[in-house]
Amino acid sequence: MTDVRSDSLVGGDGLLQPSAVQEARGFGRQVWDRFVHHRVAMAAVVVLVLLIASFWVAPLLSPFEFDELTPDLRQAPSWAHPFGTDEIGRDLLVRTFIGGGFSIRIAVLVSIVATLIGTLLGALAGYFGGWVDAVISQVVNLVLVIPALAILLVLALRWGSGPWALAMILAALLWVRIGRVVRGLFISHREADFVEAARAAGARSSRIMLRHILPNAVGPIVVEMTLLVGTAIILESTVSFLGLGVQFPIPTLGNLINEAKGAIDTVPSRILFPGGVAVLITLCVNFIGDGLRDALDPAGGHA
Amino acid sequence: MFAYAVRRVTATVPVLILATFFVYVLVSVANDPLARLATCTACDEAAYERIVQLYDLDQPIPVRFVGWIGDAMQGDLGISTSLGEREVTPILLERAWNTALLAVPAFVLIAITAVILSVFSAVRQYTLGDYLITGGSFLGIAMPTFFFGLLLQVAFGVWWQDWTGTKPFYVTGMHLESFGDYLSSAGLPIFTLALVIVATESRFGRASMLEVINADYIRMARSKGLSEGRVITGHALRNALIPIVTLWALDFSALLGGSVITETIFAWPGLGQLLLNALTAQDLDLVMAIVVFIAVVTIGFNLIADLLYGVLDPRVRYD
Repeated sequence: MTDVRSDSLVGGDGLLQPSAVQEARGFGRQVWDRFVHHRVAMAAVVVLVLLIASFWVAPLLSPFEFDELTPDLRQAPSWAHPFGTDEIGRDLLVRTFIGGGFSIRIAVLVSIVATLIGTLLGALAGYFGGWVDAVISQVVNLVLVIPALAILLVLALRWGSGPWALAMILAALLWVRIGRVVRGLFISHREADFVEAARAAGARSSRIMLRHILPNAVGPIVVEMTLLVGTAIILESTVSFLGLGVQFPIPTLGNLINEAKGAIDTVPSRILFPGGVAVLITLCVNFIGDGLRDALDPAGGHA
Repeated sequence: MFAYAVRRVTATVPVLILATFFVYVLVSVANDPLARLATCTACDEAAYERIVQLYDLDQPIPVRFVGWIGDAMQGDLGISTSLGEREVTPILLERAWNTALLAVPAFVLIAITAVILSVFSAVRQYTLGDYLITGGSFLGIAMPTFFFGLLLQVAFGVWWQDWTGTKPFYVTGMHLESFGDYLSSAGLPIFTLALVIVATESRFGRASMLEVINADYIRMARSKGLSEGRVITGHALRNALIPIVTLWALDFSALLGGSVITETIFAWPGLGQLLLNALTAQDLDLVMAIVVFIAVVTIGFNLIADLLYGVLDPRVRYD
């Protein structure tokens, strides 16, 4: 059981380097062992799993639908409505959990798509260098120079009213960081002896990149991908908070906080629930990312 | 180093032009003013013609862009459509000043707090204080800015007033009648801006301090009998600050560009709020002016960060 999970977590056998194979335990296994003993990261995993499970279970148990109107308008938290109700009487507990579910699904999708784009472009730039690198690096500089939120708002204003459209827009902006990391890794590996050997054996570039270099870059990519989920949660909720992201009637943590802002004088505690969930998710994801980084690179050396 | 600076500046010009072109096309495509004009039934033919002429709307987008950048080079950033056909340049300067009223004190607060926190938690590594600071910075990084701003509003605007009956801070708006007014209206937005940056900087600073503190020259300084205070401030901090100064330059440029979130929440009439309004009002010239301003500030401070690195660390060579 643990073996299967360790494989899926760090890319499995692909991570086994010639030097690591000779040791008693494989590199993937060592990483897994170190990660399991990282108490904060494991606690974060448990909390995150419980949280995600509750996003799924709580709406099933709740007597209310997330878009069901009840006669109780604008209520403070009570036994019937533990998180209170909104302006048109919808139960905020079920809305918060459904909203959390949407937010985390958007964030995970953003993270996957951004990682794919970033890895592909970063790998091409790092491996081939020359004009390919020049073009891709210019694009990266471009995205870094333009104020991200401005672009995000322009795009969101025009196309971002659905959760999946918003996810694509966020991914189009967030691949840059992973792209730079992967480019650096490919540059440092492309002259390595094992790449030279593969090239001498007649392997095509695509095969060298996929089978020889990529497995050596999986660790940092997984770390960045994890941290990206946290960034995406914050950005998604920010855009939705400004009223430009996901629209009525779909709840996300961001537009729930936006709605709660309207009741800040009457029921000030209302913002605490969706806001607290957003902070909790981001906190867990960041702890897990940090734990993974420590497990992959026990010597430290990161800032 | 001067040659390096010149080379860096010239290298950024194409990026800047490409970036402005990209934004120009994007904003122009995302909202077509002609389509909006066409739906305006109350507009008469003459007004329509006048607007088309004024903004060259009968020209293709790249041609419009060339016209725009030609004017921009001469300091004419165009005319705002949403703010009563006023010229963009004075609006931009006024709002940039308002943003600076938040950015400068926020930066000073950030720099001082982050250095104190990172020195403390590096010197007292693995003590309760270090754990509290590290945990706090994790929390700060995970906290969305808008949520922290709202929490401050709830705390000081609602609860504090309920308990004590007084109001130490204005919850929204910019009040400049007196210095006290300025402080109490800028206080909450400054704290909001500072939180996330202090959190990231103190984490970075702690790592940077820890790296230095175990170096041989620190042991040397101790063994020749220097007081611990001298060792930390005179030897360790001076070296640990080098990478932090770079971070300062980048964070300061981000602050000067204005924060959409913070300024929106606290109704502060700075660049960030202006950008959001210009975007929702589809005010092309205004959007472009702000975006170019932010891009120039970003590029400029990136350059300053690079050059400072060389000044502070003579081992760095430019060629």
